[in-house]
Amino acid sequence: MFNQLFINGLIAGAIYALVASGFSLIYSVCKFVHFAHGAVIAFSAYFLYFLFSKLGLNFGFSVILSIIFASLLGFLINLFVYKQLRKRKASNVILLIASVALLIFFESLILLLFGADVKTIGYIKISKGIEIFKAIITPLQIVIIAVSIALLILLYLFMKRTKIGKAMRAVADNKDVAEIVGISSEKIYTWSFIIGSAIAGIAGILVGLEQNLEPTMGTNLMIKGFTSAIIGGIDSVPGAILGAFLLGFAENFGIWFLPSGYKDAIAFIILFIFLLFRPQGILGIKK
Amino acid sequence: MLKIQNLKSGYNGMEILHGINFEIKPAEIVAIIGPNGSGKSTLLKSIFNLAEIYSGKIIFKDKDITKLPTHYLIQEGICYVPQGRQVFSTLTVRENLEMGCFILEDHELFKRNLADVYNKFPVLKKRENDLALNLSGGEQQMLAIARALIQDPELLLLDEPSLGLAPKVRKEIFQKIAEINKEGVSIIIVEQNAKQAVEIAHRTYVLESGRIVLEGEKEILKDERIKSIYFGGV
Repeated sequence: MFNQLFINGLIAGAIYALVASGFSLIYSVCKFVHFAHGAVIAFSAYFLYFLFSKLGLNFGFSVILSIIFASLLGFLINLFVYKQLRKRKASNVILLIASVALLIFFESLILLLFGADVKTIGYIKISKGIEIFKAIITPLQIVIIAVSIALLILLYLFMKRTKIGKAMRAVADNKDVAEIVGISSEKIYTWSFIIGSAIAGIAGILVGLEQNLEPTMGTNLMIKGFTSAIIGGIDSVPGAILGAFLLGFAENFGIWFLPSGYKDAIAFIILFIFLLFRPQGILGIKK
Repeated sequence: MLKIQNLKSGYNGMEILHGINFEIKPAEIVAIIGPNGSGKSTLLKSIFNLAEIYSGKIIFKDKDITKLPTHYLIQEGICYVPQGRQVFSTLTVRENLEMGCFILEDHELFKRNLADVYNKFPVLKKRENDLALNLSGGEQQMLAIARALIQDPELLLLDEPSLGLAPKVRKEIFQKIAEINKEGVSIIIVEQNAKQAVEIAHRTYVLESGRIVLEGEKEILKDERIKSIYFGGV
């Protein structure tokens, strides 16, 4: 039982980590809550469904196109909405409201384009799980965990080693000084949306393969990603990843004591506890 | 080297500088002193296009640089060190210096400049891989200056480099500034700490309520008018 819950927690954590890392990357650089990140995730899952299940394109090709599409969607949202609002000196609260509006807009658009009924991508036939340490895990779930961890390592290396990654951390740290040494913060915001949304795209694809597609899937994932980011420290990408795995474990070990219907309630209770007693999160620095 | 003609500037439509005429020659240190709110920082920010310029001209090496974007100014050879030990606190010392060279594409040049800067500030070399937030106040200020120097400027704008530092550290910072100047870098230094600034400067301007009211060399400190500017109507 313990092993099974541990593996379930790991799978949930891996997905939450992908949601939370892209979200918190954008937050730390741009300093506002981009809830429409959830819409990018949902759209990428639906786009894969459209390309692969509807048009019948090659699977690998569809996956790559979906990631590019998600990245482009994030880029365009920033270019046509957030950037325009920043030009008019809108506060971060206005940007937050705009992001909620965008989330609702894109969910409605999905509803309009694809309908309300549940969709399945159906690339992987429902397969019998493999037994490891008396716990059952499907090959797809192994792929989810592996892709998630590999991607998080790549993101870490990107932020530590590349010039753009360092500039993103510099803008996140002190935007005014970054401008003074000639780093254009608008350019770096654009980069954070491109990269954060590409990660969102991958998250959407993995979730779409593991679960069914529904128009509201983005909101549901966003709640988990947001909670993860708050737990770990919203300003810190490693913190958000830590928070994601903690949340995954808390939810799954929680159903040892509670009926499984309370799974989502656990996330909210943890969110409230952190907002009340440690709003800066585990790794966050109190300002 | 840099000439300011009848500059009027401020923030959000409010004029703070009311017609400044100013000049700095090559390899000169010029100090700008004056009481709080006299517009000293605004003058530096106007040069670096961080304030709103309403009228007047800023000319650098016979070229009009008024309102040029930051990266042009850096390429022209002007660097700015803002007030208050502004570093990227969650980046390492070396990463801070790399960011100083963000617009420099040439990696070899960066390496050479880095070696130069480490030579001038050996303490930074020693703490290369530490996060900037773990440095002492003086070290952070040196890092902020080094981050500007690594761009190899001809003109360095320093906004209150001694602010909030212990007297001993302050002295060290002023020494470093004098050393940097000896290598041919022109420096405009804005200071609350008037005495030490005037001592290392070749010339000094005194600013009051957005106007230059005095100009002179080291003897300026003995001027009776200084007292009245700082303490009000003696």
